[in-house]
Amino acid sequence: MAVIGLSIGIALLVILNALSLAYHEAARAPLKEIGADVTVQRPGNVPEELSGAVFPCSAVTIKKDELDRIGKIPGIRGVGTAVLLWVFEPNRAWIALGVEQENPVGPSILKNFVAEGRYFEAGKPEALVESAYARQFGIKLGDSVSLAGRSYPVVGFVDASHAAKIAVANLYLPLAEAQAIAAASKPLQSVAPFGAGDVNLLFIRAEQEKITPVAAALKEILGPKTAVATPDSFLKLLGSFFALSDKFTLVASLIAILIAVLIAFKTMAGNVAERAREIGVLKAVGWTNRNVTRQLLAESVAQCFIAGIVGLLIAFAAAFTLGFMTVNIPIPWEMSPTPHFLPGGGTPLFKTLRLPVGIPGTLALFSVLLSVVIGGLTGTLLGRHISKIKPSEVLRHE
Amino acid sequence: MNNAILVGTGLTKTFDSLTVVKEATIAVGDGEFVSLVGKSGCGKTTLLSILSGLERPTSGSVTIAGKEISTASEDELALFRRQNVGFIFQSFNLIPTLTAWENTALPLFPVSMTEAERRRRATEILEKMELGHRVDHLPAALSGGEKQRVAIARALINDPKIVFADEPTGNLDTATGDAIMAIVNRLHKEQGMTLLMVTHEPELAKTADRVIRMQDGEVLA
Repeated sequence: MAVIGLSIGIALLVILNALSLAYHEAARAPLKEIGADVTVQRPGNVPEELSGAVFPCSAVTIKKDELDRIGKIPGIRGVGTAVLLWVFEPNRAWIALGVEQENPVGPSILKNFVAEGRYFEAGKPEALVESAYARQFGIKLGDSVSLAGRSYPVVGFVDASHAAKIAVANLYLPLAEAQAIAAASKPLQSVAPFGAGDVNLLFIRAEQEKITPVAAALKEILGPKTAVATPDSFLKLLGSFFALSDKFTLVASLIAILIAVLIAFKTMAGNVAERAREIGVLKAVGWTNRNVTRQLLAESVAQCFIAGIVGLLIAFAAAFTLGFMTVNIPIPWEMSPTPHFLPGGGTPLFKTLRLPVGIPGTLALFSVLLSVVIGGLTGTLLGRHISKIKPSEVLRHE
Repeated sequence: MNNAILVGTGLTKTFDSLTVVKEATIAVGDGEFVSLVGKSGCGKTTLLSILSGLERPTSGSVTIAGKEISTASEDELALFRRQNVGFIFQSFNLIPTLTAWENTALPLFPVSMTEAERRRRATEILEKMELGHRVDHLPAALSGGEKQRVAIARALINDPKIVFADEPTGNLDTATGDAIMAIVNRLHKEQGMTLLMVTHEPELAKTADRVIRMQDGEVLA
């Protein structure tokens, strides 16, 4: 009973923490797949008339001097930039994303998702088109697409369905081209002045423990209305108890382990009380209090160690089962803005993934050590209490 | 008594306001077999507990093999019992989860020695009790007589200076009881074992070298 009670407590402790870690890990996924820990967008206005190149209302100009200051924030390990444009042509609307030629942080990772053709060559005004969009509109490799009065040869198709869900477009250009289009757009300039070297999307890789202060520093530089997306902000969107609060996990874990300890203690105390006669015999034949205490301690530690291992096995089985659960992480419209009037424009976007439930070695080790400590404490307390039994008292009433 | 191995002098034991043993004085010689008899409730088991160091007297003193034990601490008493005293209880008091040899070796577990040595010593003594074929059996698989023989083996494994037996045949049928007493007598006669046995059966008491009677907590002259 003591082993079962403690096993269940340990299993609950491990699985609660594993679930919490899994939701935290899942919340990192939308940003991780674009190579970032933080994304930054500054909301602003859109021109009254949507024609030519404009910025979405969720991502307006981030100035070059602001970029320079951001690069100096402690804890930042890398910065990726992009320019996201809505370009309204007489016969077609494009969502165009200007990406850097090479950068492990940000949408340059699209290089790995070229399904057909090739990626841009450095310095050349070329375009990549999203595969599904190309199929829908019959665009072929080698065709030219016209954008804000400029012509770009299509050199490749990108399978965006397997790429990131953030900053999704249907046309991808070299960053310099997108910057040039933005700078030349009068409607855009009228609401969000845009200069050389400016961008409107930032992707930041930061030291994990410094993400929160980095996010605060970003808001300080770019203003309080700036949308700074972090793993924590995605965690809040998940809405799970495990995702919402580390305190919930902590409190639930403590309650689980406390109940388990009480069950273990009560059961073992009951067992030991039932063994009072046996302990009386041990003392009668020459066992000292220390001998008895050590024996009970060894038994208690062994029982609790076994309970810890059993609990861990239960937790592994539960983690394996929970690993089949899928989790849908909502991607805010602002992070992948599509004009509502375009097909699919208002469709909510989700990053769907299997819940990455795993039991880290440290958690497993902690749970087994905790079991042993519980066994040690229980055994010591009970041993001290029971070793005070006088053999004559328990053997007298035969 | 010149060769007394056990001497109890002026022993009194009071539980709350009830005096169970009153000014009892008793001596047992080395190699002597003494029966302590009396009616149920006369205080003989309490006196046995005091004399064996399981119970402290309210007043008086106990000396075993020249050592005064009535003032010793609990752990000193335990160590003393381990090295000098053997017990045979009425209800055997075997530990149900341990095998016959483990029960026999119980006093040796706190002693630093190898498991093989413990087992060898326990098996050797169990064979003397004609239980060589039962060493790995649990008490539940043993008959009453076999259980008591395991208990006797346990009492002897530390080569005690004196063995205290409290109604050793009380839970056995007559034939089995006789067989146990035959073993006890053989040990006394062949090995010179010193024995103090509590019994309420006069016939059993007669097998001893000497009979001490108790009545209402007092040792009768």
